[in-house]
Amino acid sequence: MVNSSFSYLHENVSYCYQCSKCSAGCPVADDMDLLPHQIIHSLAIGEDSEALKSHTIWICAGCYTCSVRCPNDINITSVMDDLRKKSITLNLPSPKPEVLKFHRAFIKDMQRRGRVHELRFMGEYNLKIGKPFNNIEIAPKMFLKRRLKVLPPKAIKGFKTWSRKLWNPKN
Amino acid sequence: MESEKLGFYPGCTLEGSSSGYAESMLKVFDLLKIPIKELDDWSCCGASSAHALDHELHLALNLRNLALAEKQDFKELLAPCAACYHRLISTNNEFYLDNALLASLNKQTGLNYQGKVKVRNILDFLIHQVGIEKIENQVAHSLSSLKIACYYGCLNTRIPRLLPFDKVEYPESMDQIIKALGAETAEWSYKTECCGAGLGITAEDISNKLVSKILLDATAKEVDCIVVACPMCHVNLDTRQDKIIQQFDIPKEIPIYYITQLMGLAFGIEEQFLGIKQNFMPALQI
Repeated sequence: MVNSSFSYLHENVSYCYQCSKCSAGCPVADDMDLLPHQIIHSLAIGEDSEALKSHTIWICAGCYTCSVRCPNDINITSVMDDLRKKSITLNLPSPKPEVLKFHRAFIKDMQRRGRVHELRFMGEYNLKIGKPFNNIEIAPKMFLKRRLKVLPPKAIKGFKTWSRKLWNPKN
Repeated sequence: MESEKLGFYPGCTLEGSSSGYAESMLKVFDLLKIPIKELDDWSCCGASSAHALDHELHLALNLRNLALAEKQDFKELLAPCAACYHRLISTNNEFYLDNALLASLNKQTGLNYQGKVKVRNILDFLIHQVGIEKIENQVAHSLSSLKIACYYGCLNTRIPRLLPFDKVEYPESMDQIIKALGAETAEWSYKTECCGAGLGITAEDISNKLVSKILLDATAKEVDCIVVACPMCHVNLDTRQDKIIQQFDIPKEIPIYYITQLMGLAFGIEEQFLGIKQNFMPALQI
């Protein structure tokens, strides 16, 4: 979709008429610095620097409440995705580095075999954020209930090479 | 129904930490005599992470699975995990709306998907394909003593630019299934309020706050349990409930079941075949 303001956006934010319905329904609005309608407004007027630095893009839960309620059919969740990608491209520091580390660890683990090995992925994520015992309180019970698989899942032939053409794990 | 070849896309969590969902679903489908076959060689849908960092990566990952399904001659692909379902169906829809995008991504990834596979949600499939009557007829132990809150979460019904199989804001498909099992369902305000999804790991304080509201409203409606159709919702509501109950003064524990676990119990399948012991919260005596 062509966008008048920023070519990296998949959505046309110019459709926004600032009804704020997105912010009214956002479950994590309390913890945001910029509300969703403020993010969209800044982009619509051609100003993306505040949005790219915001907390908001990193704590958006990706629930799509805003997207399905928008009377102008802007997929706001997808705008958040595009902003995150752009902020990584520009090498801006994430105000919520755990989230970026989480997604990177997930994609890295997925690229190894084509399927995610939850135990290894969670372990790597904990190491990345420097908290090896993060979430550890549920781990023993997960083991006892046979929910954490020690052995990795089946490796999909050719997946690693195929997927690395799409995403460089160093990204 | 039998003429349409049905594929099963488990996704990483149903193969891992939420195997109880897969186990109970396959048992229930077996009893209902619905043939279903796992998609061979499937790979991860990218979950919340691929689209969060790169839209094209998200599309390509799902294109791979859709192309596999088409090649393996599946007309329909059932994804019981709400996140996998959302990624697959929104990708499929994006290709439907933009054929040139599909062509260019096919070329880029060396795949040849023609857009012929239909992605199905478990609630949609149970309601519209299997039908309430067939579910009702299978009930051996009515759940009539129970009042249940159906929790749909976000990704089962909120698909941008797609006509949903159920009402987006106040869905009722799961309620219809639960009623067919004999139980009463709650009218409550948190059916589709977000549990925080992956924030449960990266920003637990935010996620716990969201989960506490869901649990409090369910408690106020005096339900015996909550039923879900999403592994992420299950993990957030079930595995951290101990802690959340203490932190937010929630009066009692609430067992969290997958829809197929309750169906299995009502159909008379023994608990041990439904992965119920894998749930953290103590099971009800049914």
